[in-house]
Amino acid sequence: MREDFSNALVRLALTDSKVLLLTGDHGYSLFDEFRKICPDQYINAGIAEQNMVGMAAGLARVGFRPFVYGLAAFIPIRTIEQIKLDIAHDALPVVLLGDGAGFVYSHLGTSHQSTEDIACTRAIPQLQVLSPADRFEMTAAMDYAYATNGPVYLRMGKADLGDVHTGPTSSLQPGRLLKIRDGRSDRPGLIATGSMLRVALDITTSFDLMLWSAPFLKPLDVDDVCAAAQATNGLVTLEEHSVLGGLGAAVTEITSEHQPTRVLRIGVPDRFSEHCGSHAYLLREHGLDIDSVRERIGAYCKLLSSNSIALA
Amino acid sequence: MTSAISESSITPFNPARMRRIVLEMAYAGSTVHIACAFSIIELLTVLYRHHLRYPGNDPRADGRDYLVLSKGHGVMAQYACMHELGWLDDSHIQSYFKDGSDLKGLSDSRVPGLEVTSGSLGHGFSVGVGIAFGLKRKGTDQKVYAIVGDGELNEGPIWEGALVASHHRLDNLMLIVDKNGFQAMGTTDDVLALGNLQAKFSSFDFETLEVDGHDEIAIDAAIRQLWVTGPNKPKALIARTVKGKGVSFMESINLWHYTRLNPQSFAEALGELGFTGASK
Repeated sequence: MREDFSNALVRLALTDSKVLLLTGDHGYSLFDEFRKICPDQYINAGIAEQNMVGMAAGLARVGFRPFVYGLAAFIPIRTIEQIKLDIAHDALPVVLLGDGAGFVYSHLGTSHQSTEDIACTRAIPQLQVLSPADRFEMTAAMDYAYATNGPVYLRMGKADLGDVHTGPTSSLQPGRLLKIRDGRSDRPGLIATGSMLRVALDITTSFDLMLWSAPFLKPLDVDDVCAAAQATNGLVTLEEHSVLGGLGAAVTEITSEHQPTRVLRIGVPDRFSEHCGSHAYLLREHGLDIDSVRERIGAYCKLLSSNSIALA
Repeated sequence: MTSAISESSITPFNPARMRRIVLEMAYAGSTVHIACAFSIIELLTVLYRHHLRYPGNDPRADGRDYLVLSKGHGVMAQYACMHELGWLDDSHIQSYFKDGSDLKGLSDSRVPGLEVTSGSLGHGFSVGVGIAFGLKRKGTDQKVYAIVGDGELNEGPIWEGALVASHHRLDNLMLIVDKNGFQAMGTTDDVLALGNLQAKFSSFDFETLEVDGHDEIAIDAAIRQLWVTGPNKPKALIARTVKGKGVSFMESINLWHYTRLNPQSFAEALGELGFTGASK
């Protein structure tokens, strides 16, 4: 997935000399190809993220197409006000790349973990928020971010979990869900985003549930979400992000108004990580490992069928 | 006192006339930040009269120079200059702060002529660094002027931007510090002492000069000198100013960061500037 990200960035930079990559002194090996092929379009802005984001706004104001890279803990979180005021306020075409979102930096602790970035960015007007699930979505998301010519936050989570799609996805349409698998209509359907798609695919296969990927957190297509709610018996959302303000919130904001539906939001509980450990360990700590998620969805299926809760 | 009026009819961007417009806006809108605007009047009049280039008098012309008002609190002074340029009309002045009006109490980049949305401090300078970086990359001779308050220098991104500006040799960028010695709650010395600003920016490898920020001839000369000295260096002009300059009862009285005009203080202030009443 990271190689596909790098390839997309190089391809866009070769196509358009106005594309510039700004990094806050991160991405040591990730940008080897970019630096080799497009050295003049590479700017290491130093460990100075706030200035870097403001600077990207200035570059966009005079016609450049900045891609600003940092860890999600810093881009967007450290620079949320610069994103709001300097970029989103004027819908400037800046792509913000937040890498290592969720618990990727599991061993490093809270400073490098990011489970609030979707919530923070979703509330900023004119800013689109994308969260690709695999290398195919990543390529499509990069193309979309460039083509949309406005401010985008592109969330990059755990990148080595394998493919979700069987091949390149068609170009992304704003807010649209991507159907990953069909399944039983009398059971809940899953909508997952980013790194949780792999877990979601394994679980939906074993329970024979419908599954959609949400490469967009904002916008999120009202009709698609309502259609998913109508096609299934309840919904489950799954994300490596706080249960507050992320995919689960975005889905329930729609269903509560347009298609009243019972929604189980599975994400990071409202607390910081306690311990050091591997990515898999921290997912377990927060109840996001495959066994915990399977157990919760199994119980949820039973609850829905015994209570006949489905709201017409 | 009458000299200001006769001069005001012939000199573009006459400072007394600019201050009158600020007073009229502040009075019409019952707003604050008068003193913040008064300290940068001469800096703006010199820039607009002699330095800023707007092809076709178009505030959004591609080839323009950029005036980035990072200290958005002084925006009324910029509105006054934009009125002089014909970018704002009398109705903008009279409707200032009224419901539904376009001009806000702090700089908003959606208004043609304002380059950044500021007021949250320490933003505009970084945007200016990016603009200067981009213009230099494009190989144009356009210039970027970023005006920051001395209180605003408390903000960390200013110093991040200063490092980047000198590292990338942004010699098309001029930082202008409105050194009026005050910030919201007191003097800069009392709140967070800044020390020797010229030495500080010199140590960041800026070409620097300090000047009387109300002496138009000196300001003009300093700007011209900075552009031709210190090749490959960003520029820093430290302008010693007086917060509330031009009206005796406002000068260096920090209350005028927050105080609104009443009919009496409005008339007195106009009188000190040599005007017997509002222009309209």
